[in-house]
Amino acid sequence: MFAKRPWWSIFVMVIVLFLASYGSAQLAPSAPEQAQTEVAAAITPTATEEAEPTAEATEEATAEAEVIVPDCADLPPAVATEATAEAEATAEATAEAAADSEGKVVRISFTQEPSSFNPHYTDQWFSWITTALWLERPWNFDENAQPCLVHLTEMPSIQNGGISEDGLTMTFKLKEGLTWSDGEPYTAEDWVFTWQMVMDEGNTVITRYPYDEFVEDVTAPDPLTVEVKLTKPFPAWQSVLFVKANGGAILPKHILEPVFEAEGTIDTAEWNRAPSVGIGPFVFKEFETGSHFSFTRNENYHGDIAKIDEVFFRILADDAAQNAALKAGDVDIGTFVSFADIPDLKENGINIMSASSGYNEGWFLNMRPDSAHPGMLDLNVRKALALGVNREQITEDLLFGLTKPNATFWNGSAWANPDLEPYPYDPEQAAALLDEAGWVDSNGDGTRDKDGEELVLRYVTTPRPVRKDTQAVVQQQLAEIGIGVELFNFEGDVFFAGYAEDGPVAVGDSDFAQWSNVYAFPDPNTDNWLCSQIPTDENPSGGNWFVCDEELDALFQQQSVEIDPQKRLELMYEIQQIMYDNVYYIGMWGDEDQWAVNPRLTGVKFSGVNPFFNANEWDIKE
Amino acid sequence: MTQYILRRILQAIPLLLIITFVLFILTNSMGDPLATLGGRQRIRAADRERLMRQFGLDQPLPVQYLYWLVGNDWTTIDKDGDGVGDEPGERKGVIRGDFGTSIVTRRPALDLITERLPNTLLLMLPAEVLIIFFSLVVGVYSALRQYSWVDNLLTSFSFIGYSMPVFWLALMMMYVFAVNFKAWGLPYFPTVGMFEPEAGKTIPQILWHLVLPVATLTIISVAGYSRYVRASMLEVINQDYIRTARAKGLPRRMVIYGHALKNASLPLVTIVGLDLPLLLAGAIVTESIFAWPGMGRLFIDHTERADIAVIMGIMVMISVAVVFFQIVTDLVYAYLDPRIHLA
Repeated sequence: MFAKRPWWSIFVMVIVLFLASYGSAQLAPSAPEQAQTEVAAAITPTATEEAEPTAEATEEATAEAEVIVPDCADLPPAVATEATAEAEATAEATAEAAADSEGKVVRISFTQEPSSFNPHYTDQWFSWITTALWLERPWNFDENAQPCLVHLTEMPSIQNGGISEDGLTMTFKLKEGLTWSDGEPYTAEDWVFTWQMVMDEGNTVITRYPYDEFVEDVTAPDPLTVEVKLTKPFPAWQSVLFVKANGGAILPKHILEPVFEAEGTIDTAEWNRAPSVGIGPFVFKEFETGSHFSFTRNENYHGDIAKIDEVFFRILADDAAQNAALKAGDVDIGTFVSFADIPDLKENGINIMSASSGYNEGWFLNMRPDSAHPGMLDLNVRKALALGVNREQITEDLLFGLTKPNATFWNGSAWANPDLEPYPYDPEQAAALLDEAGWVDSNGDGTRDKDGEELVLRYVTTPRPVRKDTQAVVQQQLAEIGIGVELFNFEGDVFFAGYAEDGPVAVGDSDFAQWSNVYAFPDPNTDNWLCSQIPTDENPSGGNWFVCDEELDALFQQQSVEIDPQKRLELMYEIQQIMYDNVYYIGMWGDEDQWAVNPRLTGVKFSGVNPFFNANEWDIKE
Repeated sequence: MTQYILRRILQAIPLLLIITFVLFILTNSMGDPLATLGGRQRIRAADRERLMRQFGLDQPLPVQYLYWLVGNDWTTIDKDGDGVGDEPGERKGVIRGDFGTSIVTRRPALDLITERLPNTLLLMLPAEVLIIFFSLVVGVYSALRQYSWVDNLLTSFSFIGYSMPVFWLALMMMYVFAVNFKAWGLPYFPTVGMFEPEAGKTIPQILWHLVLPVATLTIISVAGYSRYVRASMLEVINQDYIRTARAKGLPRRMVIYGHALKNASLPLVTIVGLDLPLLLAGAIVTESIFAWPGMGRLFIDHTERADIAVIMGIMVMISVAVVFFQIVTDLVYAYLDPRIHLA
């Protein structure tokens, strides 16, 4: 039949191909767990000491302007644990021998491959975190998310005159003698060029923020001075301007300008894929798509020359395979380790280090009157949602107690309001609130109703196993207080789709949606809840898929231009109080980055802002 | 014969056009390419509008298909967002060999595909050769010794193999031969990748890293294929002409390979003919687990991010290959079975 009718076979093939790809996409993430339980028993555990230096947010976010920002090179090295102290002694003893023998290679596994190395072309986490190695930012953030200087002589502030009194002019002073890895000077002209490239119509850069909103002009009065004219005061500049939170960095003008002049765009520049020239402790070596990419030591580095010879990134799409490679010692640093795998890795002697990157997993409540369930507009129902779910138990059972429920969207940063505690688990009070609001089970079907409307809410998230498990627990616990929950799961490209593309959260086919998100960490700014961002047919790209609250909107706008850090902190506290009292956001758990590190590595620290910020201090004990 | 081939090729052209149109509609309804472009964050409203325009995603679907097929250098496109076309487009369209630009990497989709294709063939061709070889050996052996203990044993094994999920087998292979063998101090295989960074990308390294993924693919497929061979072999062996061949005193070897196997291989040719184009698609699960940089992973990675140019490129390539191998299969039929006449 097939041989004589190719039509049939082709359509069948296509359908099979689709099914196969979807089927395996579903299988791949969930499958490893079964296999792992099977084999876990077969592996002999070898327990070792592990260190867990968590990045604790300091109380004094306010002091930033007055405090002198240190140079990154002067920061103290990583605190050595018992295991690593011993290691360092050995390492020193064998240092000379090692230098003669083959190179020291640190192998890191990535579950995704970088889309582009040019940080202005992607917000992909796996892409921009590599820039710390080869395209450093002018200033960096350490493991406590505190700023330190890399290319600047001082951090601009009103006190040192780097920021004008009206907050509209900023002056950056570059260190003398900085060079790109090919020896060409690194100057203010590179900064001006970077700004021009971001704003040019010919380039499909991922975002023009903050340049399109805040920056009027960037000039270079002399090679070591950059002057930035702003359209309005910009308190969040430290997190985004020239160091865009997701990796924006200064581009090498001498490499990219000829490409731009020839082609009218730098989209197609070979440098984006193979950035042969950079500035940082390492320099790009090679990239073989789907397989690996690597960086070798930059001998011309302006700071302390790196101790290891090469950083090798292996692209390893499967979590279970990453764990196997970590245990076999084929990988030194594992990224995005899931909570479920941590106990097993620890048993096998792998160190786990976590760093807060400001991310929190939480529920984004939809209160848009045209799309939300009427119950969502009732504060009592929203409070009942917060009180009716045992989040302590979820973090304890599903996340192995490795994280805690968060009270606000800003937990894990210096901006979190310390007076706010997560709503406790109190089903009686939740039921009482619902009774009081008139949501009662009048028809005896097990769910509450009011005015003929059943209290059945749509709970939407992505198909990640831990999220599905959470959904099941939540559905059961809310059923106990008479709230019905319908569960939906969508893959990321559908879940986050915009209003015009019928994204389920964007158009409001959801009452509460769960995902992990962040503000402009370490800066608290976000436009998630601005009224102007409510999507409509006229403004389909709006990103506020939740609620328009005039009072909250005004406060968000105020803090975004408040340059006095103390006043801004008070505004942020007030914002969080309002969001907490009105239950606009329900935190599920703090979503810190989890790193698995082979104990043979020493000197490793992770910053939540820019994880590999001290890669030149990493070393290997053999 | 030449006429037959030419006619088949001409017939394939409208067929492929219809396929690409249907695929284009399907891939475009999969998801929003801009949804995941922001990494862990959602994309900002102003940037979404600008990128939709720059990538041409603001155009109606039929127009997008037209640009994809024949390019847009004959018309003007809106560069600055004022709603009026101001510069001629730069795309040449698939019929002139331009598969478009990947939204994820901003690189030509064809480059991404041609980078991965050799790796996939490196994995799939040895696997396919081993699969055909072992399924013939196992199938023929079982058929000749039907219901012997060897046949029963092989039957049990093939049912186990056939019902085993690929990911499970792949992970078990990795845990046993890479993780545990290393822990027990035995010679062990590498877990993932094509080579060790310290050793570099050398031929022995690649062969060494090929063992586990190829073994996984082979075990899974031999189980199924050998059953086909066994069944059709059994059918043929009981035919009159085999008895005649034996009766006229042909050597056993000649009877089995010259008469029985040649006739019994028709079903296998059908399956292999359907399988060959899919070799290009790679093995999604196996490649993911063993971190093999092949087409399967390219397809999955870009499907997850609704990267239309790359998905379409892969699908078109597979569609063309399916059509091509169907023609080849029919030609092989004519060789194997002289009763079939192509005209």
